[in-house]
Amino acid sequence: MKKFKYFCLTIATAAIVSLSACNNTPTAEKPSAPDTNSTSTAQVTETTTHSGHGSKEKININTAILSELDKFEAKLGVPALSNKIQASRPYANPEDLVNKKVITQEQFDQIKDQVTVQEVILTGEAKDVDYMTKLGLMKGHLLVAQELLDKNLPKQAEPHIGHPVEEIYVDVEEQLNERKVKEFKTTLVGLQDLVKSNPKNAKVKTDFTASVQSVDGAIAVLPEAQRTKPGFVLQVINELLDSANSEYGAAIADGKIAAAIEYQDSRGFVLYANDLYKGISSQVAQDSPDAHKAIETSLSELTKVWPSAIPPAKPVKTPVEVTQLIKTIEQNSQKVIDKSSTQAQR
Amino acid sequence: MPNNFVLGKEQLFSRRQLLKLGIWGAGFAGTAALWHTLNAHSKSIVKVPPLEIAATNQAVKPMQMLRNFDYGVVKQENGRTVREFQLTAGTSVIQLNSAVSYNVWDLNGRIPGPTLRAKQGERVRILFLNNAGHSHSLHFHGVHPAEMDGIRPVSNGSATIYEFDAEPYGVHLYHCHIEPVTRHIAKGLYGMFIIDPPTPRPPADEIVLVMAGYDVNDDSHNEYYAFNGLPHYFMDNPIPIYQNQLVRLYVLNIIEYDTAVTFHLHANFFDVYRSGMTMTPTEKTDVITMGIAERHILEFAFRYPGKYMFHPHQDAIAENGCMGQFEVITDKPSQT
Ligand SMILES: [Cu+2]
Repeated sequence: MKKFKYFCLTIATAAIVSLSACNNTPTAEKPSAPDTNSTSTAQVTETTTHSGHGSKEKININTAILSELDKFEAKLGVPALSNKIQASRPYANPEDLVNKKVITQEQFDQIKDQVTVQEVILTGEAKDVDYMTKLGLMKGHLLVAQELLDKNLPKQAEPHIGHPVEEIYVDVEEQLNERKVKEFKTTLVGLQDLVKSNPKNAKVKTDFTASVQSVDGAIAVLPEAQRTKPGFVLQVINELLDSANSEYGAAIADGKIAAAIEYQDSRGFVLYANDLYKGISSQVAQDSPDAHKAIETSLSELTKVWPSAIPPAKPVKTPVEVTQLIKTIEQNSQKVIDKSSTQAQR
Repeated sequence: MPNNFVLGKEQLFSRRQLLKLGIWGAGFAGTAALWHTLNAHSKSIVKVPPLEIAATNQAVKPMQMLRNFDYGVVKQENGRTVREFQLTAGTSVIQLNSAVSYNVWDLNGRIPGPTLRAKQGERVRILFLNNAGHSHSLHFHGVHPAEMDGIRPVSNGSATIYEFDAEPYGVHLYHCHIEPVTRHIAKGLYGMFIIDPPTPRPPADEIVLVMAGYDVNDDSHNEYYAFNGLPHYFMDNPIPIYQNQLVRLYVLNIIEYDTAVTFHLHANFFDVYRSGMTMTPTEKTDVITMGIAERHILEFAFRYPGKYMFHPHQDAIAENGCMGQFEVITDKPSQT
């Protein structure tokens, strides 16, 4: 730990500021920001609940993924606006886009009827990307859990069997029902209980297989055409890599991998991102050879960071280097995604 | 007699706002600290000794967080006072001692998270952004509708808004509620949430102490314990308070994995306001048992100068970092 200079706050009794006006009503409560406008969240809802007369779907700027935000980027013609919107989260209300200087008032006026901070029901491709991403994260957890079970490390595998239920399942439950996927929470919870209490039981293997099949089955309800479309799959890949990036950063302390769980999480996400890319790589190579080259190179560089499910003694790359690689993949994916969405619009 | 401290003519600026201006100023909505002092009885003196605070870029700042309250940004909406708070979950590494560093999840770059403070009946709005990799959430103790209960995961990179009325008054808390909750709490996603009563409590030197444990090897057992984030910190850096000054401690036990701990104060007894939900003390003692997430207001004043320890009387826990001391400074008589 570094030692820093000392601030010495000498506030002796004599030096203390005294306030003469004692009968103050709490005027001190004035907000420091000049925005005393009263756009409450409730009001925003009211103006937005008109449905069914061709009004555009709303996008929640607090939660939307990049490709959804691209709609604003395209409409306003502001380069990298999507990233800028994400970077300025959280927003208390749509007007915060202006208050936080993400866009100008004039620009806001052009998109304001599509912006919300309320929970939105996703539709169309955004909904599928969201669904697939959540299942993809589950896959990542299970991939690394499998590796650890194979290494006869059930104790280390257990949290990764737990994460899909604990962190993800509730978030996707509604969609599973809607898409008529048989619930598999019970399967996952049963597996976790078993690994905790009786990891040597032969049933672990069969239950594990059943869990993986459940997730695969849930993914399979997405139309084949969607699951093989580069522009779609790349959105999912980038979401997975984004999580991997945060987890990897959280795994490292003092130049060592201090948190094995977070290291393993990030490994699982990258493994599955790789799997997904394999399925579309020849198509990307054909349609966008340059982007493909950049993505492929960065992905293989990235994969080296996780040589095994057991963390290496010394990190292969720093979090900054990992972020850089992931950014490169994201930027090149964007080219492919943009291309495929313009094609779709034709 | 702990009561002569309130007599005086000037209204004193609490050291807290100066601290805020000096160190925290940039990051926090400042104005509000005034409110407390102003609302407090106007003819009173709260004496708070000068503090020597090591500036650090660590996420743990035990001394700074002692008297630091986040009152949010106040807005008037439809004739109501709304306090808007912003909490961002992130990741950082803290140094528990010279040999042990530990990855934590922080809130606004801090562990424990900021002590949020509102008044009963106000509207509270919390903008929560998760930049910490896993899914997380913020679950507030208090009374609110189910949708605002904060058990739904907020995925990495996204933000959500929790909004509810501040009720009832008391010392509450907030914490992440993603399973395993033990790990999500123990790695740092928690903080104190104070709702002040409609009639302010008498002026006092108000101090926040949060007891927490660190399970550094993921074995569901704490290796280290701390007040306000850093093991042993207040043993090496005693908390200065004035002799005969009423001290109001806001104490929270958020030690996971151990069923309960006590809070014990040396050479004194304190008045207990259970969960901070009463205006009159419910008991007087020098050891109070606190289960996980239990919190109370404890009031006392020291008659004699000197150093006095405080710690859980589970002495193993104390010796692994959960102990500290007050340094009682002589109250120089300023008038004849
Ligand atoms: Cu959490």
